[in-house]
Amino acid sequence: MASHRISDNVSRRVLLKGAAALSGLQVASPFIIRARGETSVRVGMVDPMTGVYAAVAQNEVSGAKLAVEQINAKGGILGRPVELLVEDSANDVGTGVQKTRKLIERDEVPFIIGDVNSGIAQAMAQVTAEKKTLHIVAGGHTDGITGKDCKWNVYRVCNTTRMEANSVSDLLFTKYGKKWHFVTPDYAFGHTLQEACAENLKKLGGTVTGNELTPLGTSDFSAYLIKARAAKPDVLLLLVQGSDMVNCLKQIVQFGIDKQIHVAGTQQELESLNALPAEARIGVWMFEWYWKQPNTPHLAEFVADIRKRTGGKVPTARTWFGYTAMYSLALVANREKTLDSVKLAQALGDFELPAEVKLQPNKCYYRKGDHQLMTSAFVGEALPKGAGDPEDLFRVDTIVAGDKTSPAVSETGCTLQWPA
Amino acid sequence: MSQLLLFNVTNGLIIGAFYVLMALGLSLILNLSNVINFAHGGFLVAGGYIAYTITPYVGFWGALLVAPLVTAAIGLAVERVLIRPLYGRDPLYGLLLTFGLAFIFEDGTRFIWGAQGKPVTIPAFLAQPLSDELFFITGYRLFMVVMVAVAVGLLFVLLRYTRLGIRIRAGTLDLETVAALGINVGMLRSLNFSVGVFLAGLSGVLAAGQLGLEPTMGAGLLMPSFIAIIVGGVGSLLGTLLGGLLIGVASGVTAVFFPQASEAIMYVMMAVVLLIRPRGLLGEEGMMT
Repeated sequence: MASHRISDNVSRRVLLKGAAALSGLQVASPFIIRARGETSVRVGMVDPMTGVYAAVAQNEVSGAKLAVEQINAKGGILGRPVELLVEDSANDVGTGVQKTRKLIERDEVPFIIGDVNSGIAQAMAQVTAEKKTLHIVAGGHTDGITGKDCKWNVYRVCNTTRMEANSVSDLLFTKYGKKWHFVTPDYAFGHTLQEACAENLKKLGGTVTGNELTPLGTSDFSAYLIKARAAKPDVLLLLVQGSDMVNCLKQIVQFGIDKQIHVAGTQQELESLNALPAEARIGVWMFEWYWKQPNTPHLAEFVADIRKRTGGKVPTARTWFGYTAMYSLALVANREKTLDSVKLAQALGDFELPAEVKLQPNKCYYRKGDHQLMTSAFVGEALPKGAGDPEDLFRVDTIVAGDKTSPAVSETGCTLQWPA
Repeated sequence: MSQLLLFNVTNGLIIGAFYVLMALGLSLILNLSNVINFAHGGFLVAGGYIAYTITPYVGFWGALLVAPLVTAAIGLAVERVLIRPLYGRDPLYGLLLTFGLAFIFEDGTRFIWGAQGKPVTIPAFLAQPLSDELFFITGYRLFMVVMVAVAVGLLFVLLRYTRLGIRIRAGTLDLETVAALGINVGMLRSLNFSVGVFLAGLSGVLAAGQLGLEPTMGAGLLMPSFIAIIVGGVGSLLGTLLGGLLIGVASGVTAVFFPQASEAIMYVMMAVVLLIRPRGLLGEEGMMT
């Protein structure tokens, strides 16, 4: 094939500049919603509305919006309407920090919620602590947030990676075998989750045959899967999330690896199962919340309310995270009759969620010592096709209370330093 | 270990073949129109989602043909309306325009089809691995390689033996002389752009079957394609072919020894090539400024 000349005015330098600009594609981001009122109580929410976690982030926002509507219908916070300001972190730490600063400094929000990405959530926590702003991490799982890096002003709704690991380790070991191989996302969340699983496995007497660290946003997992299969493990644990989970599971099934090795993991999400073809909806996992539970009070109303707003889509764990984070702030502020961040942070310690918010059978409360919500793990198996409802893609076998999966506060490494 | 290495080399070639398809489209547009098309990933995503939408009506094979054609038509409209006014200006104008278009494509996709990924079903006979030993070579991956080979072959025939192809090649070398000979350069650029976007659309349909669909998938697949062009040599389609295969293999082999670096190795290769042979492996001396 012939070589072809390009014009003199396109230089390699221009092409390289372009390539550099491409890597910045995910940084810039749009403002999402705005509804301002002079006397409202503003709540800032920073989540990756674009990028690989966009689907889960949008569900968190959807849950928070429903909570705002319901809170406003009941009189708002301290009699003032609540206004939700959503900012896109674009799945980028720098952008997340910048948007958090903007919300606190320019929009003067007393509360911050976010981010889905653990790394961004941790960076945001530095800012909110510096600015003495009450901050709830709705969906960032890495242990440090309520562990060694815990802060007086930061609470968390979703499970820690340690809680996730504890919820399934025994089951996977006894049911599937003692040799585990990991496919792990190469950032804070993945690292702590893999360490927790490996530690549990060691205690149980098993061995790790390998750990494939994969960059966030990996589209082709075949090279990692070839290596994983060659290691001949009993269980292939997928710790990746979002579109990475979808791509990885799909390729596992295409390669027929699931016929030879048990495929499982810790955290699985309805967003991922929905994006998979039926044959790739396999494995044992834990959900952090599930929309179908027998006899749980107020659950049916919540599901119906979300379905009305999302064109029939059911709420996911992420929807519940956003809903719970928003409600927690409103409930505690109304109970304490203040917006003072220190007083509210103290009041949230041991705060128990009411039935209409917790939407699960077990007791659900923020632990005073590390500010972690003691929320349940829904352990079960992915279903290829929904029975009765196309979105009923998970069979819950056990609901384990947060107290049972969480390590003691003394083991988390958290020491809260309160402002003088 | 040697078997693992062999597996990954073969696998890298399969991945590389996909990068080649993307990079050839980019390279065609860059060579004739001097447009660094950052929206190429967006066209890829559009191709995939269009295929997803029409598959229930025309089936997988119909979508494989129709979706790239529809994408090419969109590309033609974009070229005529947005890109044409920028010809003759500094290439950075085109770069910025297509950079913005990439955002529009991504957000537009999210707006129309939603942020949640979409599963794409491929014909059952393509979904199986060839054998237990060669489990990583599925019928579909093999089909992708065949499709890339066919596309490359057809592109070669187009450029070498057709009037349009000869004009494209001549225009790449000296557009002013081609224009002076009475050839409609505007039309030539439009058709060339459409062919490039057709390849992006085809890549999108093939990627959808392999990976499923997600609004951000274009950005992730675009970067290796740029690297393939730089490594192979800007201006050389054969270089692009070689560059795509090389980075695919390098990425696959690195995954055996140091998985964390399987993506970074592509950038390392690009840096090394730029330092040792700045014009790229098959780029010709003096072809670039």
